[in-house]
Amino acid sequence: MSITTYREAALTNNYEFTGGGGYELPEYPFVEPPELHATTPVRHSVVIVGGGITGLTLACSLARLGVRAVLIDEDNTVGVKGASSRGICYTQKSLEIFERLGIFERIAAKGVQWSVGRTFAGDDEVYSFDLRQQGNFHLSSQPPFINIQQFYIEGFLVERTQELGVVELRWQNRLTGFEQNADFATLTVETPAGTYRLEAEHVIDATGSHSPLRKWLNVPFDSKRGDDRWCIADVRFTTHPPQERHTWIEAPFNENRAVWQHLMADDVWRIDYQMAPNADPEYVSREDVVRERLARQFGPDVEVEIVWVGPYAYRSECVHAMRHGRVYLMGDSAKVVSPFGARGGNTGVADADNLAWKLAAVLSGKADSALLDSYNDERLDAAQQNVCVTNRTARFLRPTDGTERLFRQAAIGLAKQHPFARALINTGRMAVANPYARSRACTYAPASAAGQSVQNVGFEWADGTRGDVNDLLNWAHGDLLVLVFGDLPAAALQRLRRLCLDSPVRSVQVLGASGAAQALEHVRDPQGHLKGACHVFGHAWALVRPDGYLAATGETINTQLVRAIERSLGLRGEPA
Amino acid sequence: MNTNPHLQDADAFYEQLLDAHADLSRDESELLNARLILLLANQIGDSAVLQACVAAARELPTTPV
Repeated sequence: MSITTYREAALTNNYEFTGGGGYELPEYPFVEPPELHATTPVRHSVVIVGGGITGLTLACSLARLGVRAVLIDEDNTVGVKGASSRGICYTQKSLEIFERLGIFERIAAKGVQWSVGRTFAGDDEVYSFDLRQQGNFHLSSQPPFINIQQFYIEGFLVERTQELGVVELRWQNRLTGFEQNADFATLTVETPAGTYRLEAEHVIDATGSHSPLRKWLNVPFDSKRGDDRWCIADVRFTTHPPQERHTWIEAPFNENRAVWQHLMADDVWRIDYQMAPNADPEYVSREDVVRERLARQFGPDVEVEIVWVGPYAYRSECVHAMRHGRVYLMGDSAKVVSPFGARGGNTGVADADNLAWKLAAVLSGKADSALLDSYNDERLDAAQQNVCVTNRTARFLRPTDGTERLFRQAAIGLAKQHPFARALINTGRMAVANPYARSRACTYAPASAAGQSVQNVGFEWADGTRGDVNDLLNWAHGDLLVLVFGDLPAAALQRLRRLCLDSPVRSVQVLGASGAAQALEHVRDPQGHLKGACHVFGHAWALVRPDGYLAATGETINTQLVRAIERSLGLRGEPA
Repeated sequence: MNTNPHLQDADAFYEQLLDAHADLSRDESELLNARLILLLANQIGDSAVLQACVAAARELPTTPV
């Protein structure tokens, strides 16, 4: 796939006032589905509706795990025709997921890495951060962030899924009807060659923020809509700003409203201007007006090529439950957030990663179907966290007149004088791998890190070559992974062997720089990075799931581990 | 939240507070208060205590005092 050329933007979808050259997107051929001529509907295990970043991540994940599925998408391309790239910023956790799927190298080659962010108010820098200096970001095999247009990732996912076989991608297949009973759902699908019906045991709604399924199912949700208005200009320059994320809370060159300056692939920069709440979207996105705005920011001499311009407003929405009968809501169909902090697309990717291994485990008979309900426990928790965090940012960026604006003024003033107040300045809290605090599939205990994500840190294989957590997850191939740190008594070793014979579990002994390997598979962790990533100390075990989350941790190989395994496979109904 | 007397010199603090507002316009005075709240909140730090303080402050007297 090569999308480096731009062409006339078609003014379609909801982007009425868009302008600029636009992006050229790849197109995929329509193939007549076999069901068109079937007399009785064919039953599939999994049907994914929607081929955006979320649906495609799920499709690719299922293909990797060998689970047959069908994805239907109403369009014949990735991205949105006539629109810009919706998402631009991908977190370390998403990149770790993409690495497992086999597309990380392509993303890294095309995208732009960054780790420095700066926030300004007026002419002053209020604070800055370098994620490489913070926490453990530098320990993963993946960088803190890569910025890249969303459709590139989608295109890579399409090609990878096609390469893997197993999952069928059906373009120009539009869902027009839906019904379900306790066992399966029936979908009516319209294509250029006619309409057909297909049955599915599991339906994934990855149709996005205007989900038709959500309407048909009358899914209850909370919603919040403000009057904050923005206008994006995706541009190319003759001169380059630094490869950093810059945000202005009050930009002198934008009538003291906020401005975002972010980078993407192909030397495209996204400059996002906050508009007056009553601004006319048609006026603010007019080319001469946009050019004047850009000149105020970058100076009159900088030559600018406008790739895309579009005004937008945002809202936040969150459903009350992410499973409705046979239907699993995912990505924007489950929750919608403001763009601050990159918590939209990255959450969809994590939703897909969460459900993929569970579907695979249940469909192959390794786990009980009750495990599928933990998808709601975990990802609704994450959705609510992300809605809460993004709403707080939105409130900081668009305070109501009066006290809210007063406190922002106080915080900005103090932040220029004292370090403590910088923590109050909120120009977006970057997305994280959300921890799961109340999942029926996790076994919680005091001081346990159950429900937390394990970073893709490195270690040494027995032969001294470098490996990372993803290598172990790939090796486990959808089974659970028990990492045992330190040496083991003979009885524990026996127990562990039996466990691996009886259950879909693979175990690896993790030794320090020295220490004799016992009979099982072993790796060395001389710097303790793997141990640190699993949040354990001394002699311990960590039960790692195929999505790189900790199901449980413990000290000795006993019934506690057995129960934790059962719980993480949905075999113990009661919540921990 | 500590609702027992804890100020080393209550009268002096009260006087300082009033003095700080002297000569300020209403807007400036409001800004000073907001800044002071944020500075003091950082001294406390503890989330539970701050939450209790905010809740206690919300218990406005029903009749004017």
